[in-house]
This record gives sequence, structure tokens and C-alpha cells, in this order.
Amino acid sequence: MEYRSRLKQAWTIAKIELGRAFFSKRAFWVYGLALLPTIIFFFHGVQMKIRRQSLSSGGFVQPVLLESAREGETAEAVIQRLGKPHWDFEYPRHRMVSPQGKASGITIHNIAPALEARYIRLNIRVPSYNGDPNARIREMEVYGGNDSVNLALSRPATGSAPCSAAEGPEKAFNGNANDRWCSHAVDKYLQVDLGDIHEIKRVVIKHASAGGEDEQLNTAFFDVQASIDNKRFVRMVNGTGSRFIDEITAVRTMHYSDGRREAVFGFEDGKLVSKKINMLMNFEEDRQIFAGIFQYFYLRLAIFFGCLGIFMNLFRGEMLDRTLHFWFLAPARREVLLAGKYGAGLIASIVIFGGGALLCFGVLLLMQNPAEVQAYWQAAGWAHAFWYTTAAALGCVGYGSVFLAAGLLLRNPILPAAVLLGWEAINGFLPVMLQKLSVLYYLQSLCPVPAPVDKNMPALLQLLLNPAAPASHAGAICGIIGVTALVLWVAVLAIRRMEVSYSTEA
Amino acid sequence: MIPQTVEFDEVSKFYGEVLGVNHVSLSIPPGITSLVGPNGAGKTTLMNLMTGLIHPDDGSIRMRGLSPRDPENLMRITGYATQYDASPRWATGFNFISTSLLLFGYSRAEAEEKAWRALQQLRLTEAAHRKIAAYSKGMRQRIRLAQAIAHEPEILVLDEPLNGLDPLVRAETIALFHQWAAQGRHVVLSSHVLQEVDVISDQIVLISNGMVVAEGKIRNVREEIHERPSQFIVRCRNASRVASVLFKEDHITEVRLNEDRMGLLVMTRDREQFSRAISRIALDGFGIDAVIPADENVDALYEYLIGEGR
Repeated sequence: MEYRSRLKQAWTIAKIELGRAFFSKRAFWVYGLALLPTIIFFFHGVQMKIRRQSLSSGGFVQPVLLESAREGETAEAVIQRLGKPHWDFEYPRHRMVSPQGKASGITIHNIAPALEARYIRLNIRVPSYNGDPNARIREMEVYGGNDSVNLALSRPATGSAPCSAAEGPEKAFNGNANDRWCSHAVDKYLQVDLGDIHEIKRVVIKHASAGGEDEQLNTAFFDVQASIDNKRFVRMVNGTGSRFIDEITAVRTMHYSDGRREAVFGFEDGKLVSKKINMLMNFEEDRQIFAGIFQYFYLRLAIFFGCLGIFMNLFRGEMLDRTLHFWFLAPARREVLLAGKYGAGLIASIVIFGGGALLCFGVLLLMQNPAEVQAYWQAAGWAHAFWYTTAAALGCVGYGSVFLAAGLLLRNPILPAAVLLGWEAINGFLPVMLQKLSVLYYLQSLCPVPAPVDKNMPALLQLLLNPAAPASHAGAICGIIGVTALVLWVAVLAIRRMEVSYSTEA
Repeated sequence: MIPQTVEFDEVSKFYGEVLGVNHVSLSIPPGITSLVGPNGAGKTTLMNLMTGLIHPDDGSIRMRGLSPRDPENLMRITGYATQYDASPRWATGFNFISTSLLLFGYSRAEAEEKAWRALQQLRLTEAAHRKIAAYSKGMRQRIRLAQAIAHEPEILVLDEPLNGLDPLVRAETIALFHQWAAQGRHVVLSSHVLQEVDVISDQIVLISNGMVVAEGKIRNVREEIHERPSQFIVRCRNASRVASVLFKEDHITEVRLNEDRMGLLVMTRDREQFSRAISRIALDGFGIDAVIPADENVDALYEYLIGEGR
């Protein structure tokens, strides 16, 4: 049979197979992959348009005024010059800060005027700052007129139930801060009998951190009471472990826009401290983002896995359905069958992924300022669109052949996918000769805008993401076609030897 | 001149360690030929080999001069109705057949006309536009037949074509086989029931364990089986007396007494006469306990195949 009629036969096969390639239930997720960037850019654009709409409601300010705000200016001065902001948020910002110097965990409470008492009682209201339920007191000292005589030292002590036998109330009055009284009763208290009525001038309490424990375990709230008859108590101290200081700052942010940009001024205690001016629609930046998404997501993942779904299914799907023998019983060479199926897969994947790339690019442009888009389009835009679409299409050509061959040679799609993904990932480190055996290497060379690379990234990773020496466009196209031809040749060898055996397949 | 036969020359096929078919040599002339053997004997393997779905490990196959590795030419003159009960999900009976005809290079109109003719022959026109997935088992069997014959092939390979057909359709299908055979075509069928095909076949190939056991016209196959002496073990109480009675029968070629005098090894040329003789002896009160076939070859196979039909 001559060449032309074989070609016609392959085309007939491709037409029959288009249904499988486009609408296979096993590969519907391919559409999700192809359309994801479009959806992201669409919502990004819509979001920005809504924001601009809402910023425009109060009228825009002059661009010069937007830049005139200086640090240290008061909010009032800014309002006077720029007018009422579009958005104005004001709120107090609380911040818990540690007091200057390391907190010792010791609180000293002077009693003035002095109070006469025999029984001194410490009531723990909130035992800790971090929610720990146990009260911890290292030492409690009571002083009268003489600062050197601790009236409570070694006096009989009582208290709520201790955490353990070794942590009884007497530990708080033994003159040693290395041990402690601990209690987890509901009403936590500690009491000492001074033996006689004394004039009380000062109470010193050593909390958890005075014994080396965490600051947050210091008593948060407590009070100290005094009594003469151990019946009627007078409160003489209200206290906290005073670990933290609550710092309150009046924070205010004001949003202004000149129609193209949005300025956010941040004030603290009435003074301007930060100024951010962002483009509402940053065409330049969005194009960079597109370049990044295209290289990192679209080429590396979406087209890769999309081709896996479409092309592996062409033969493997028929084996699972037990319908492959119908093709093998047709009066067609196996190569022609392969060509037909590859053609169907190519048409489907190029329409899906080339179309997806073009659609995303279109959405990107559609959302921007028309004047900017016009200028870009006349300069480089159409070429960018062309090369993005070409790269996507050639990605389908290359990956398609690889997965078509994999579908013939292997039953499990995970294995070739993992191997290939690994190969493409380490490709940047391989000798130049081997780099040329990668689909991604050529695809990256075709991308019109190099993907943005974070300069903080390790050099190794940067190398991995961008080819060191990209091929020329013609070279890249020839390279992909070369790789594809090689892989398809392997596929032809495989399909010639292929046998129908469903029994082991099931 | 191109030989008008299907030729197997010392063909072997292994599935890994497992034997598929072993040193099969066949020459099948046009007409109806039935491959008969129990399940797993290798009938489907032979048919898959003929049509190139699998390739032989050894030996060669010629289908009217064409190699199964040349589907482009072979499948123009060959139609194969497999046992794989599957069809594309999208297909209705009609577009399944007409679509497959497009690959022969027919125009759409020609393909549809031929598809319709095939459906008519198998009486499937009513169901033509329904999805195959919704067909009954018998209808799916027939749609596979229709697909195999739609391009009017010279060699028809049909794997268990009568399975699942109701008696009326079966009779019509058999009539079709005769019609095709009369046109000088090859009709190669398979069956695991000898009775099902022995009347309709011009030729029978008996297969067991991947080997061709007997081959030829149905009458020849029968005789071939009958001419081989078969062995039986007879368990009885009075072995020496039974032996002496049996010796008078002229179909008995050998009788050997067991050492325990409770059994005999008998060799006979005619198993039917032998079984008549045994029943006569049993009726005479010799106390026969059991008659056991002693060899597992053709005889057992034949027994199995005939038994299946009852």
C-alpha cells in the first residue's frame, strides 16, 4: 500500500480516536490543569478591578500629592493636603512587652500606713500568665520596722492543698527560694502565723521565676490580707507578678489612590511611619508572574501530567477496556495505528494546552489598561503570545511521544512519570550532551521571558530552574522534534512486538 | 501460485513458563474447520496466532500466503470474532461496524452500506442504533460476528461463535457458515463441545494441552480415535474367570491379571464393544466392582468432549 493511503488511514484512526483523547473519563482532570492559570489570572484581574472601582468612589487624588506624604507627618496634615482618605482604619494595637531589665520574679509591697496584724494571708486569684493552674510561691517575707528581720521566717504556715508532700506551705517561709509551695486547689491561699501582733510595713513575695522557673509561671493576680484574730481579714495588697507591660499604640492606616496606584499610609500614635505605593494593575509584574507560572507550573506540571493523562490512556485505556484487539485486527500497519493515535493525542493536547496558554495570556491582557496593552502588543506582545503557544504545543509533542511510548512499554503510569520528572529535574546538572535529551530544556529555551528567579534562592536551585545555556529557537524546535522522533522510534519497535493479553492485565 | 490454505509450521507459543501451544503443524483447506478441545487446550491461542494478536515464539504461520505480521494485507482478507466481550463505550451496533469499515478505505456511504448488510445477515437491524453496552450476551456475540464478516473476508476466524445463541439464531448462523464455506472461504471455528460442531464441520482439529491430537475429516477423526487400543482397569472379585470370559471377545487385544487377583488390566480396540461385554459379564453375576479408564490421552479427551454434549 502506498504512502498516501497509509496517511489517509492514520488520519481516519486519529479522527476516531479524537473522542477518546478529548473526552476520556479517565483524563477529565486534564482540563482543570490547563485552565487553572486562566482562572487564577481571571480572578486576580476581577479582584483588582473591584478594588479600583471601590477606590474610585471617593474620587482620585493627584499623583504628585500621593508621593508628597513624608515620614513623621501627622495624620491631620496628610488629610488636610490629600483630602479624606478612601479607606481609614483606626485601632489600638496591644503589645505585651517585658519591662526593662530581666524580671526577677520578686514583688515588694510597701504597706502605708502600717498595719497591725498577727496572721498574714496570700490569696492567689490567677496563678500564672500562661494558664498553668498551679500556684507557685518560692518565698513570702513579712517585715515590720526592722528591714533585716523577716517576721514570717520559720513561723507556722498553713495553706490550700499542696501539689505534693514536699511542696507544703512551710516551704514558703523557710528562708530558701530554691524550694517552693505549690497548690492546685480551687481556692489557693497561703497563710502564716507571726506568733504575736506586729506592725506590718512591707511584704515581699518571691514568685516562680525567682527560683529559676519560667517567667510565665509567675502569679498573675493575687492579694494579701492581714488579721489580728484569724477571723476578720483586711486586704492590704493587691498585686500582680508584674511580668509584662501592656503597650498600647494607636494605629491608623489610610488608603489613597490616583486611579493607577494605591498608596497605603501607616500611622503610629498620629505620626506617619510607613508608606507603600503599589500599582493597582501592574502590567509589568503580572507579565513576570505569567512567565513564572508558565515555566514552573504550566510546562513542568500541567503539560507534563496532562500529556500523561491523554497519551498513556491511548493504549493503556484500551487495554483496560479490552478493546485494543479491534485496532490490531484492522487492516493497518501497527505504525500507522501508532501514528493515528499519536495524532489524535496531539490534536487534543495542543488544543487543550496551547489553547489554555493562549486563553490565559488573553485574560492577562484583557484585564490591563488598554493603552499599556496596545503599546506592549505592538512592541513584543504578539511574539510573546506566539512563543508561549509554540512552547506549549511543542511540550505536547515531546511529552506526548514519551508517554505514548511509556503507555506501550509499561502498565503502571506512576513509574515513568516519576522517572521522567526526576530526569527533567536533575537535567540542569547533567553534562551538556545529556541535557539535550530533555524536553524541558528546549521548552525553556523557547519561552520569550525568562522566569523570575528569586535572588535569595540557593545558586543550585537557580541553576535547576533556568538552563545555563539556552538553545536558539530553531535549535530548540529541532531538538524537540529530534527527541520526539527518537522516542517514537522506540514506540514503533514496542508496538510491533506488542501482543494482546488482557487476562494478565485485569 | 499462492496456496489457498492456512498453514501452521511447527508453531510454539509460551506464556512465560506456561505452554500455550507446542509444535503445532496444520494445513487447513477452505471450508468449515472446527478447533475442538477442552477449555484451556489452546484454541484461542491458535486463533490469536493466526490473526497476529500474539506472535509465535517458534515456527511460522501463513494465511493464504500472508504472514500474521502483515495486518495491512492479512486483515483485508481475514475477519476475527474474538471471545473478548468488550466494545468501545461510545459505540452503537451500527456505528461500531461502519467505523471499523472506514479503516479499509471505504467511503462513509460504502461503509454504512456494508455495515447494514452485515447487521441484516445477523438479524441485528432492529438493535442497530442502540449502544452495544446495552445488548444482551447473545446480541453482543452476534455483533462481533457481524463486525468480523462486514468486509466480506476470505478467512473467517470465529472463537466459540455458537456460544450464547438461542436455537433459532444458531441454526441461521450455521446456515451462514455453510453459505460462506460454499463460496470457497475459510471458516475456522472453535468449540469445546464436539457434538456442537461435528455435523457442520468439513474438518475437525482436536486439541489438548496445546497439542494437535487428531486432525482430518470428522469420520477420520472418529476412526483414528477408535483404532487406538484403549486400556481399562477392571476391579472384580473373581478376576481370573472374568479374564477368561473377556478373552473370548475378539476386540480384546490383551488381558493382564493383577497380582492380588482382584483386578485386570484390559486392552481393547473397541471401547463400545468392550463396555457392552462388561455389562453382560456384570449381569451374569461376576461381581464387577469398577471399570476405570487407564489412559488419559485421546480416548479420555474424546469421552470428555462427547460427554459434554449430553
